[in-house]
Amino acid sequence: MDPPPQQPAQQPQTTARDMVFCHECENEWYRDEHGLSCPECQSDFTEIIEDDNDPRNATMADSDDDGPPPLSAFHHHNPWNAPDPDEDDINQLHWRAGPDNFTVEGVIIRDGSSTRRVDPLGHDLHNPVARNFATMLQNIVGGLGQQNASERPRGSPSPGQGLNDRFSGTLPGGNRFTYQRTVRLHPPDGTHPGTHLDPSGDDLNGLMEHLLGAAMGGTPGHTHPPSGQPGEFGQPPINPLAAIFAQLMNPGMAAPGDFVYSQEALDRIISQLMEQNTSNAPGPATPEAIGSLPKKQVTMEDLGPDGRAECSICMDEVTVGEEVTQLPCHHWFHQPCVAMWLGEHDTCPHCRKGIMDNDKPKESTNSSNSTAAASSGSSGAPATPSRQQMPGTFGAGTEENPFVVPETPEQSRLHAQQDQRSSSERQPSPHSVHSDGDAASGGLGERIRRGLFGAPR
Amino acid sequence: MAAARKRILKEYTECSNDTPPGMKINFDEQNMTEWEILMDGPEQSVYSGGHFKLRLTFPNEYPFKPPVVSFKTKIYHPNISNDDKGSMCLGMLRPDAWKPPNKVISVLHLVRTLLIEPNVDDAIEASIAGEFKDNKKGFEKTAKEWVKQYAK
Repeated sequence: MDPPPQQPAQQPQTTARDMVFCHECENEWYRDEHGLSCPECQSDFTEIIEDDNDPRNATMADSDDDGPPPLSAFHHHNPWNAPDPDEDDINQLHWRAGPDNFTVEGVIIRDGSSTRRVDPLGHDLHNPVARNFATMLQNIVGGLGQQNASERPRGSPSPGQGLNDRFSGTLPGGNRFTYQRTVRLHPPDGTHPGTHLDPSGDDLNGLMEHLLGAAMGGTPGHTHPPSGQPGEFGQPPINPLAAIFAQLMNPGMAAPGDFVYSQEALDRIISQLMEQNTSNAPGPATPEAIGSLPKKQVTMEDLGPDGRAECSICMDEVTVGEEVTQLPCHHWFHQPCVAMWLGEHDTCPHCRKGIMDNDKPKESTNSSNSTAAASSGSSGAPATPSRQQMPGTFGAGTEENPFVVPETPEQSRLHAQQDQRSSSERQPSPHSVHSDGDAASGGLGERIRRGLFGAPR
Repeated sequence: MAAARKRILKEYTECSNDTPPGMKINFDEQNMTEWEILMDGPEQSVYSGGHFKLRLTFPNEYPFKPPVVSFKTKIYHPNISNDDKGSMCLGMLRPDAWKPPNKVISVLHLVRTLLIEPNVDDAIEASIAGEFKDNKKGFEKTAKEWVKQYAK
C-alpha cells in the first residue's frame, strides 16, 4: 500500500529533511534517501516523524500524544523481554529427589539495569521476588507434610551481609540471586514433631538446631548431603541433644503449629508439675516428733453439741476417757490415724499447722492456752500469732495465704475457726467452699500464674 | 485399706441419709471405691434440665488423699476439663489442699455449688472461663446447647 499522499502535504515541513519511522520494525531513515517504504522490512506502515507528533511514542505504550517525550532509553525496548517478577526470573528450577529427601533449587537472574528502568523503585523489587520464591518453595515443601526440615539458604552475594539479610536486606542491583533450600523428609513420629519452614519466623528452633549441631558436630541441614544416606531411611538425622531440645521447645508433644503460650496450656503444665512435684507441701514429720506428741483422754468437753465426738480421720466415734493424741494446735485424733498423716505431711489435718516447729520455742504458751481451748470445746482453735512459714514462700506469707503478711492474732483465730467449721460442718456454706478454694489456690501454680498474668481478676 | 473402706462405708451412710438435692448415688458394696453419681443440673443454673453422670473414685490412701471427681457426661464448664476425663480438680479436691477431715458430702456440695456458680479464678478451661467473664450470654448459650446435646 502506498503511503497516504495527503500526509506530507498536510504536515508542515519543520525540518530540512524528513525522518520516516517504520511501525513494523522501528527502523528510521531519511525520507529523501529511502522514500516512504521501509528499506528494512519493506513495510508501508510508516510515518514521518514530526516535532509535535513523534510516532516512536506510540510503540512504547498506547500512548497519549500529550505525554512527555519518551526517554531515549526506551527506544527499541521490548517490554515483554523485561524481567517479570512472577515467572521469568526463575530461569532454572531444579528438582532432585532422593530416597529420603528432595532438593529444589532455583536461580533468579535479574537484569539490574532494565529493572531500574522499568520500575523506579529499582532494587526494592529484588526482595519481594526472593520472598515470593521462598514462599512458593515453602508451600511446595510444606504441602508434603513432612515432619522435619532444615533450611539452607544461600544468602546474598554481597560479602558484608549475614544470613539474616537473605530475605530482608537489599541486594545490589543487576545481580544474580540464588536461593537454595534443602529439605529432608521424615515419616512423622512423636519424637520429632517437626519445625516450621517459614524462613522469617520461628527461627528459634532452627537456630537451636544449628547451634547444637555446631556444638555436637552435626547439624542435619549441613552435614548430611542432599542425597539420602542408605540405611538411614526414616531415621531423623538429629543428634540426641538436639532431639531433647526439640522436645523441650515443644512440650506436650504439640502438633506443629501448636504453642504453649496460652494460659490454658500453661495451666495444664503447671498442674502437671504440681502433681509431680509436691515440694511446696510440707514434708513429713519425723517419727520422733510424732512419737513425742502428748496423749490425752477425751473429756466431756471434747464432745460436740450432740454429745458425740469422732476422730475426723477415720470417722470412728470416740468415747469419753478414750486416749487420743493431741497436736500442738490442740486438735486431737486417734494415734494411728494422725501418725499416718503426719508421716507424710507435717500439718494438722484440720488447721494445717505443723508440729515440728513447736518442739522449740512456743511450748511454754501451750499450758495457758490449753485451758481456754478445752473450755471452748473441740472447736477451740489456738490463737497462734505466727503460722508456719511455707517452705519456698517469699516474704512473710503463711502456708494458707502465701501472699499476705502475717495475720493479726484475731484474724488468725477467725481463720482457724472457719477452717474448723468448714471441715466439721456437714453442709459447708458456699463461703467455706470458697475459702477452701482460696486456700488451695495459694500454691505454687497460683503463684506462678499471678507472677505471669497478674492478680486474678 | 480396711480403714479406708470402713470410712467410705460410713460416708456412704451419711450421704444417703442426706443426699444433696438432685443427686442419686449408685453404690456397689463389691466395689465401694467407685461411686456412680447421677446428678440433675441445678435448677438455678444453666445446666437445668440436664442429667449428668459423675464418677467418684476413692484412692487406696483415702482419706489421706482426695477422691477424684470426673464427669462422664460432657459439660461446658470452666472448672471441668473438656476432654474424655471430665475431671474437676479445685478447692478441697486438690491434692495439696485436701485434708482427711474433708468429707464426701462436702465434695458433692462443692460440685453442685460449682455448677450453680463456676469459679473462674480457678478454672481448668481458661477459654471457657474467659467467655464466662467477657461474654456470659455466649457462655450460657453454649452450655445450654451442650446440655441438650449431651445431658438429656
